[in-house]
Order: sequence, then C-alpha cells, then structure tokens
Amino acid sequence: MHPESLVLLILALCGFGVFLSLILPDRFNRTVLALIGMLEAAAMLMAGAGLLLRGMSFHLSLWQFPTLGTLSIEGDALSGVFLSVTAIVLFAASLYATGQIKKYLGRYSIRRLAIYLHLLTASIVLILTAADALLFLLSWETMSILSYLLVNYEYEKKETPKAGLHMLAMSEVGTMAVAIAFLLLAKGGGGFEFSAMKATSAALSPAVRWTTFLLVFFGFGVKAGLFPVNSWLPRAYGVAPNVFTAILAGITLNLGIYGIIRLFPGLMPMNTPWPGLLMLITGSISAILGILYATKENNLKVLLAHSSIENAGIVIAAWGAGLVFLAQGHRIIAGMAFITSLYHMANHSLYKGLLFLGAGSVESGSGELDLDRLGGLIRRMPWTALFFLAGSLSIAALPPFNGFVSEWLTLQTLLQAPAINSLEIKVAFALCGAVLALTAGLAVTCFVKAFSMAFLGTARSGRARKAAEVPFTMRAPMGVLAFLCLLMGILPTYVIPTLDRAVSPMVHESVTQALVPPFFTPKETHEKLPENFIADFHDLGAQVGKDVLPGRGLVVLHRGGKKNPVVFAMSTSYTLAVLLLLLAGTYLAAKALSTGRVVRKRTAWDGGLRRLFSRMTYTATGFSNPVRVIFEAVFHPTETEDVKGESVVRHFRTAIIRERRETHIVERIFLVPVVSAMRSLSTLFARMHRGRVNLYAGYVLMCLVLALIFIKTLEILQ
Amino acid sequence: MTKWILKGLATGIKTTAYPSVPETAPGVSPGRPGTTYFADKDMELIKHCPAKALFGKAGSVRVDYRRCIHCFQCTRTEGYPSIDWEDGFEWASLAGYPERDQVSITPLGRPFSRSVHIRIVDAGACGACMSEIAQLGKPYYNFHRLGLFVTPTPRKADILLAVGPLTDHMRLALQKTYEAMPSPRRVVAVGTCALSGGPFGPSFISGAGIHETIPVDFSVPGCPPPPLAVLHGLLLAAGRAEPVPLKSRDSARDNPGKEVR
Repeated sequence: MHPESLVLLILALCGFGVFLSLILPDRFNRTVLALIGMLEAAAMLMAGAGLLLRGMSFHLSLWQFPTLGTLSIEGDALSGVFLSVTAIVLFAASLYATGQIKKYLGRYSIRRLAIYLHLLTASIVLILTAADALLFLLSWETMSILSYLLVNYEYEKKETPKAGLHMLAMSEVGTMAVAIAFLLLAKGGGGFEFSAMKATSAALSPAVRWTTFLLVFFGFGVKAGLFPVNSWLPRAYGVAPNVFTAILAGITLNLGIYGIIRLFPGLMPMNTPWPGLLMLITGSISAILGILYATKENNLKVLLAHSSIENAGIVIAAWGAGLVFLAQGHRIIAGMAFITSLYHMANHSLYKGLLFLGAGSVESGSGELDLDRLGGLIRRMPWTALFFLAGSLSIAALPPFNGFVSEWLTLQTLLQAPAINSLEIKVAFALCGAVLALTAGLAVTCFVKAFSMAFLGTARSGRARKAAEVPFTMRAPMGVLAFLCLLMGILPTYVIPTLDRAVSPMVHESVTQALVPPFFTPKETHEKLPENFIADFHDLGAQVGKDVLPGRGLVVLHRGGKKNPVVFAMSTSYTLAVLLLLLAGTYLAAKALSTGRVVRKRTAWDGGLRRLFSRMTYTATGFSNPVRVIFEAVFHPTETEDVKGESVVRHFRTAIIRERRETHIVERIFLVPVVSAMRSLSTLFARMHRGRVNLYAGYVLMCLVLALIFIKTLEILQ
Repeated sequence: MTKWILKGLATGIKTTAYPSVPETAPGVSPGRPGTTYFADKDMELIKHCPAKALFGKAGSVRVDYRRCIHCFQCTRTEGYPSIDWEDGFEWASLAGYPERDQVSITPLGRPFSRSVHIRIVDAGACGACMSEIAQLGKPYYNFHRLGLFVTPTPRKADILLAVGPLTDHMRLALQKTYEAMPSPRRVVAVGTCALSGGPFGPSFISGAGIHETIPVDFSVPGCPPPPLAVLHGLLLAAGRAEPVPLKSRDSARDNPGKEVR
C-alpha cells in the first residue's frame, strides 16, 4: 500500500478506536485498545518502511482552513525514520497495555485512556507528516494536551496533578515559542507551508534567524527534555501510567527532536557554526546532568526519566556537531553526525521503551519502584530480569547491543573536530567530547545500579519477596524490543545505509560510502576500494560471510587519506561471533578442568554473620553515594538538623532528625528565580485590588484616557 | 619531601632478610622458658605458674607451650632452681592435638611457594597477637617480599590465620570462614589463646582454643608470639620452612641428671 493511504488508514483506525471505546462496555476496552493500537502500529510501520526503504514520498492536501491556508500532509524519508521508530514502540506499548492496565479496571476509566491514546496516535502521525506550520501546530497542541491528560490519568494520587500541571505549563510555553518562530518564518515568505518557508528562509536577516533558532530550539527542547527546560520531565515520567511512560520516552520525546531536526538544517539552512555549537553544548550539558541525577535517583521510573534527558542530550549534541560540520562545508562528516544522531534516537526509543516496560513490570509484579526496597527479583521474575538486563546493557553502551554503536559513533564524530578551521570550536568539541565520554562512563554506573539493585541480591522488602512474574502479554513486548536492541547493535551496516536515505537530502551527499565500505561487493559497486586495502582486510576477516549475507559488509569503517588509511573501524557483528566463541570456549575449558574433581558446595560468603538480614545488604543509596559525594556541587543539598529534647533538661536529647533536601539544578537556577519574580510582581499588582467599585471604575476611566493619549501621540508622530 | 627521600636513601634497606639469612637483631623475640625439664621433688614450682603451663611428669617439671604466656614467673620465683630462658623465635610446629591425625597434616606445597593468600580472623583476642601480626606488613618484616598477602575474603584464601580463644560469638563466623575457603587450605592458630584458650578459656564466654571448632594444622605458641614466629608459622604452612626440633628437650632427655641442680 502507498504510504499516504496508510496514513489515512491510521487516522481512520484512530477514529474507529475512539468510536469503539465509546460504545463498548469498559471491561472490553482493554483488549480493543491493544488490538486497534497494534493495527495502527502495523500500518504506521508499513508507511514508515515504505517512505524509508522504498524511497516513496507523498503530498496530500487534507482540508482548506478558512482564511489561513491549506492543511496538508507530506511524507519523506525523515518522516519515515520517525514513523518506523514510533510504530515499534507503539506496537510494544499497545500489546503491553492489555496486561498492564488491568489494575485500573473499576478504579479509573479505561475508556478515557483508550480515547486519549487513539487521539494521541493520530496527532503524532499528523505531526510527523505535517507539511505546513498550521497543521503542525494544531497537532502539536493536541499532542501536548493529550500528554497532559495521560500523565494526569491517575489523578487520585497526591503528586500526579502537580506534576501534570508542571508539564502542561512548560509545554505550553514551548508551544508558544514555536508558534512565534513559525509566525516569524511565515512573515518572511509565502505562508505557512514548509516548502514556502524553506524557499524564503535564506533571505531572512541574521537577527530574525537567531531569534527563530532560539525559539524553536528551546520550544521543542521542552518536549525533548533539554537542559534549562526539562524540570517537568522526571516528575511527569514518575507519575504517568506505566504504558504511557514508555510512549512518553520512546515517542513524544522524539517529537521534540523531530521538530528541531526538521527545521535545522532541513527548513532553515544555517550558514554559521554557532547555532550548531549551541546545540552541541546544550546537548552535552543535558547529557551530563541527566546521567548525574539518574545515578543518584532511587525511584526506578524517575531514574529512567533522568536517563532519557541524558540520551536526548546525546542525540542533540550529535546533531549540533553535524550542523557545525555542515556550516563549515564538511558534508560527509556532517552526514555521519546526522546518521549517528538518528541512530541514537532510534536506539533510545527502543531501549528506553523496553526499560520503561520493564519498570512497569517490576511495579506490577512487586508493587514497588524504590530500588532501596527491591532486590532479588531475578529469582521471582526471570524473564523481566533478562529483558531488563538487555535494556541495561544497551543503554550502558556495551557491545554487542545497540547503544554501543551510536555512542561510539558519536564520540568518533566529535573526534573529527580537527577538520574545523576555528580554534574556539575545536576546544568546544574537545570539551563536549570529554563530557560525553564521562556521561557514557556514568551511564554504566547508573545501570549497574538499576539492574543489580532491582534484580540481584536479596529482597529488601516484603513486597519484593512476594513478587510474581508478569503475564505473557507483558513479557512478549519486552522480548520484541530486547531482540530489536540486539539486532540494531549487531547489524549497524544495514541500519546506516537506511538512515542515510533520510540524511543525504540534507547534506546533498551519500554517507554510506564513507562509513560502510563494500567489502562484500567490491567488484559490482562503482566505488573504488584499493586492491591492497581489500586484501589487508580480507586477511583480517572482513569478508567473512560474503556469499551468505546480502548488503555491503559487516564492517563500519571510515577511510582517511594516504597518511591514515583507516580513521576508525569496528564491527559489532564479528565482535558478537568472537564473544560467543570466547564464552563457549570458557565454558568448555571450565567444564574440562572441573571434571574428576570433588565440588564442595557451601552457602554464599556473607562475612561470617550469624544471620544475613536483607537490611544489611548493599542498598541503591549506598551504591550511588560516591557519585553523590563527588558531584555535591551540582546536587547542592541542604541539610537541616532538628534536635528533639526534653524541655527541662535540654541536654538529654530524645531524637535528632536530620533532613536532606535536594532541588534539581534546573529548578534551582532557572525556575525558582522566575517563579519568585512573578510572585513579587503579582503581589505588587494585588495592591490595586482594594475591593471598592468606585476605584475600579476609576481604573477603567484612567486606562481609557491613557489609551486615547497614546493613540493621539502616534498620530501626531506620524 | 626531598629531605625524606634523601634520608631514606641514606638509611638504605633495613628490612630483615629472614628466612634466607638467620635473624640476629636483638629484641625481635621476648624468649620463652627453655624446654629443660628437671626433677622437682615437691612439684612446688608448678603452683607458681599462673598459666598452668608447667606440669609434672615422671618426677620432672615440663613446659606446655600451648599454655605458656612467658610471664617470667618460673625464672624469677625465689628459692627455686630457675628454668633456662631460651631466645629465638622459630616456635611454630605441627599442631599436636591428640584428636588430630599428625600424619595427615602437610604443608601447602609447591604451587604455593611464591604466592600465599591469608585470611586473618580475630576470634576474640585481646589485641596483642593482632598487633604483632600487623607488624608483618610494616617495613622491617614486610612479608609481601615473600609472596604472602592478606586477603579480605576467605574465597581467595589459602591459609586461615586465627587468633583468640574463640569466643562464642565468633564461633559461627570462624566456622563459616573455614567452610568458605577452597581447598587446599591450612589453619594456623596463633597465640596461647588460640591454642588452649589461654588465660581466658575455657570459660562461660569462650572455649579452649580454635581446635574445638575447626581442625588446626599448625600452631604458633606465644603470648603474643613475636612477628617472626608468626612468619615462621606461615612459611611452615606454605611448605617453605621446617619446624625447628626442640633440641634442649632432646638433650635433656638424653641425660636428665644434668638438669637437676
């Protein structure tokens, strides 16, 4: 089917889903939601694959909006990338929903959830295929409000409404910024169509360009969770229903990234490197702050939320690096950076969706999300543990999983900075590279903590001791995502050419050749690989599997000039084979060495304690304490001590209460000053309200007089 | 800092060369009563030993090193023939408990000749033995030069070095430590308390030594044994030293009349 009819089919399915939810009794809604959701996801995947793999595109006018223009949709390879990723996460989340939302039955209306989710799907599809700013903004606003409604779904909980309103306020500010930016763009050119904006954006003055860039970047940055505007994210993720948290992290976060990517460089090519540099620096700061707070956090969902900030930061940093390279004229390297960025975005959606579903399973199975009170779940929930481990390995960037490929490529791309001809930018690249490397290291710490504290050791609470494995419908989607994580990790040479289809229109150059040399088909392709180069790599084993596998090869390799023939190279596919061989060899060696020997089995060494209480074991707080101490300047905790003593004899204390409070650095630096300024301003205005009608009538009269004077002055001036 | 370096260079290496060169420095050992045994008609001297380390056998007084706390009472009690005071420190030997088959006790042997890992358990000691053991890691004795290392987990330990009379609270911990060690493993009991309970045991809080709970292979008597005696015991367990035969006892047995004064 053609992508445009598939998009219309998705919209029809969403409408049908809403209709069914309305007429069916609430107890059927769970199943219907999952079925229709999976159908929508399947259609979306087909549309995305059609756009991306077969190179199709479409343009379709939907509706003539009175006085403002035509609402139209358009599909290209970039939409295809985002549609495919969205489809996979949506599929997993829909299947997962059948089991997970059972607990809401009779408490919260599942009908409401189903309607919101179908409408959200429709609005997301429209955002990803919008061809004009009007439709984009309308669907964006719909998406924002639906996100708020979904976050606020469990409204009976104490902290939910607060987090929801925080999110809504921030996203509305973001939407306003984006709307202003679109108005600025539309003012300069023919109208609201993206194509018209693109044609005229080059003629805009630098001031307008910068304003547009900043508005768009920070406006979309709200959804993407970028540095100064992300304080809503951990809170909202922490209270959202488990199904929706996966969608928040795997889909709506990408929409923010999509907005930025669609505009720069697609819609508004930048000819100075500074906006790209700003993106790189903001991304790096988001990444390091995100992972620092994630490592410190003990609530599993909030930990994953902070880690989403980190990953979005990496994606944006890579994209910013690409923009800098593009502005400097290094198209190939820019293309590499863009591919890396999209790759990491897709990876993040897959493994963060997986991890959030895993966290949801942990909560369903044990009723607990506090890592200090979990532990030992691997014995009670082996499948969840396995899939969560796969997700943790992916996000910690360990081969052969997918996180490794994109993080490795990110750092390699940043190391191409010597090609830039400005010293300041080179220094900034080096610093950002160092920050991102530190981020990668902390990510390992963070996810060692997340996995080991939840699944290993002994259960630290009664709930964790009585945990039960989740049903098949909840395990299967996690399994699918875990498998895809592995696949994206071991087949980068197939993913990179696919992503190249989306990137090459932006850089006007194909990057596949620079990253995936055709070791499998050196004769057929017109690209030149020197004979001795092939021979050298043949001896290293780069042509293993040549006759069996399609495609260009299994080695990611960037070739340089004569001086350094290979700039960087790796192959996770062959690494996987070697890893498996090593594992098997170790197992066999251990087996061979232990045959014919007496094996004495005793209990685990517990330090010789009489009885090992689970309370005595290592906790999540203890594990992350070194990070907390080292980065105390960032966390900036305030400690208060309250001594409770008898009033007669003051020196006899009955209790000392010590409290440690931490405010997120973004709230501390950006939000608290703004809020207090607004407060004092409104107190100032409140003095006008004296409650006397005469006074208010006086105000009206005064305003009228002032307005008249103002208008008359304008007339005189003209 | 330059001063320190220059001073250090000027001082040179002061570490003892034991066991390749016999230790001759004064004061490395407090000494202990010699194994001379002599006829004592009334067995009066035995009553003066506060640790009950002296015992009479066939009309002679003998010393039980598993109980001796070298308190000098036997040499300084007036009106009695004094016991010889023996210097030296190579006191370690196979643990001579009747319930343990002596033949089955062997040192660790060749694979452990250059790398031995030791797990130390303080089973209720007063602190003297531990402070002497702590000396082994310091520059003068420096037992790392011999490939002896302290490990924090019994999973990697070859030798269990136990001190103290084994209080009831430490009994399970010591047993678990022993069970957690992979074989081949050897147990070295250090100090009078670990060998016999010493001044503390047996009593309502502790037993009469380590051997009641786990099989002891090698013993290092002394209260506390000097660091070199502990080192000798460790080398013995590793199979890199030989127990020194009690010469004086043998000679005394050959001509018992000589000791009577």
